[in-house]
Amino acid sequence: MTTRSKSKAAPASKSSTTTTATAPPTPRDGPPRLLLSLRSLHGPTLATRDRMLEIITRYREPESLAVTLAKAVTVPVDGVLTCATPMLRAALAELETSVPLVVVVPALSDYERQELGPGLETAIATSRSRTRGTARMGVDGTDALRPAWLGPGDFVRRMPVLMASEIAGLERRSVRGIVLDAWFTDLALAAGNQKFFESFARHVQGGGMQAGFETRNLGTLLARLREWSLRPDFVVGPLNPSGLLMKPSPEELLAEVKRSEIPVIARDLCAGGVDSLDAAAAYARQRGAWGLAPDLSEVDDAAAELRELLKTEV
Amino acid sequence: MNADVETASLAGDAPNSAAPLRSVRVGVVGLGRAGVIHAGVLAAIPNVELVGLADSRPAVRREVRGIGFKAPMFDRLPALLAKAQPEALVIAAPLEDRAALVREALEARIPVLAERPFAASLAEAEALTMLARGNDTPFACNHGLLYHPVFAEVRHILSAEPLGLPRRVRASSYRSRVFDASRQAAVASEGAAGGVLAHDALDALFFLIECFGMPREARATVLRLFGTLEDEAHVMMTLPSGTEVGLDASWSVPGYASPATVIECECENGRLLASDDAVELDVVEERLGFRAGHTRLGLADLPQRARFDLNGEAAYLMDSGFLAWVAGGEPAPHRAERSLRAQRVLEALYTSAKQGGAPVALPVTP
Repeated sequence: MTTRSKSKAAPASKSSTTTTATAPPTPRDGPPRLLLSLRSLHGPTLATRDRMLEIITRYREPESLAVTLAKAVTVPVDGVLTCATPMLRAALAELETSVPLVVVVPALSDYERQELGPGLETAIATSRSRTRGTARMGVDGTDALRPAWLGPGDFVRRMPVLMASEIAGLERRSVRGIVLDAWFTDLALAAGNQKFFESFARHVQGGGMQAGFETRNLGTLLARLREWSLRPDFVVGPLNPSGLLMKPSPEELLAEVKRSEIPVIARDLCAGGVDSLDAAAAYARQRGAWGLAPDLSEVDDAAAELRELLKTEV
Repeated sequence: MNADVETASLAGDAPNSAAPLRSVRVGVVGLGRAGVIHAGVLAAIPNVELVGLADSRPAVRREVRGIGFKAPMFDRLPALLAKAQPEALVIAAPLEDRAALVREALEARIPVLAERPFAASLAEAEALTMLARGNDTPFACNHGLLYHPVFAEVRHILSAEPLGLPRRVRASSYRSRVFDASRQAAVASEGAAGGVLAHDALDALFFLIECFGMPREARATVLRLFGTLEDEAHVMMTLPSGTEVGLDASWSVPGYASPATVIECECENGRLLASDDAVELDVVEERLGFRAGHTRLGLADLPQRARFDLNGEAAYLMDSGFLAWVAGGEPAPHRAERSLRAQRVLEALYTSAKQGGAPVALPVTP
């Protein structure tokens, strides 16, 4: 096993395997080792259409999602990788316990994603319309409502506005990290926008949170970040035994994961249901993934399967 | 793929996915969603230099600049041609402007990859194709389904003919996109000849013609739910063999955020069922290396050759295939001459729909 991740500098982990009836386990410090991903509920997924219909039916009510979140907290996962959707907010409102969140920005439904224009302004407008609803509930969304006259469309200047709007109304201490959605990450990557990657990480870290980038081009992103000498807290991307979505090629991606000093959180572990979660997790860890982000669509009994992954963590 | 990974493709390689063998200077005209996707993948294709971007809308240019693209930006095609001197263009402008831009580029002998349909009328499409042929200039049209890993496999399986002659083909192209009149007006380009068939189902139509050949006759009935253009269509095409190929298309079906295509083909030696997730084969008797019984190939079993993913595999493979052609390689499978066949069928379908679904004869072409 060649988990170079162990040698990487990261804050010491706290032991958090014990739970009490009154307080949920404390998530470990440092880049997350285990996240429960809700991305299939609101993002592109490799799950088959049949599986997706099953998942959507299962999580139609916020109460169902709340139960799964509560179970994930008891595992304990280091966070839940999710967009701040109205559904998530409703599920969190059902819970008395705090759920550590790694928030993917912006929150886009699959329908919105398919029609999304080239820049940020549509996403900001969509987010603001949600924020206005939050503000009516008495939550401060002031940062998100700043005027757009300065630098419209500029990723560097406008992303903070989008981020503020997205996390408005969430319990601040529950937000452990902010991750940029793969569509925006990959656009900026394609454009070679080094300044944006720098400013995003700086802005998020300045707010006391961890900064991450979700990508569908993991090998390419790691190579560029290395070239630019940038080190966000982590990146999230596809890593699976089938090699599915491993760009630019599985060999190049694996070489970059080994070479990179940036913690990689593996997603799309089961390659759309082809690979088993335990085998995929072992594969990802052996090839240098720092952490795992199994998706709701990749688990049947979230608590049991996540606990098993935690047990097998080296 | 890595050492642990073997793909199980039954029938071979995806169509022309090679990168250009020499350096090619490329410009993109029209910077909406499609244009930006092209710009993004072009930046990742080896031997491609993105030399200019053009859009007449200042706000759009500002947004694209905001993403971080550093290529020079122009408000009009002539300025891009004069200053950036591209060797090839991707034209993703709105339909009402598309044909004129394609003509301008082809007249300057600049190879073009255009969004589909590349012209609003068949006459215009034929004229542009003739112009490209006369100028000996590569001209291709965006047909992503041909490069989708599952459908690329389907095409190869069907061309290998392990299933024998098709007896019955049914296909569908569904998307949740139009649910009121204002949405229909927003989605359908100004001057568009049609609705869901011209905008969403043309790719499936092109794919069916690539797989099964040009029909000798076509007919269609349509439903207009939210405006003057068709929101749903029921298409039947008759092949020279007499086999009927059906296509149901709708952009007003709930539950399909992403475009979804399904093809079901019953043949003399078995059956094929393909969707965006997988292709399933039921072969009766072993033939041409295809074993008898049931085989399912999902995305993870099939080759994924794109080196950069922005909205799927297809954009990268389509652009690189076109630019490989520009650089002296084989003509791209999505060349305009082949797309023209789908435009001919499309026009026949609209004629049929106007006549209440009466069959319309088509010239038999290879």
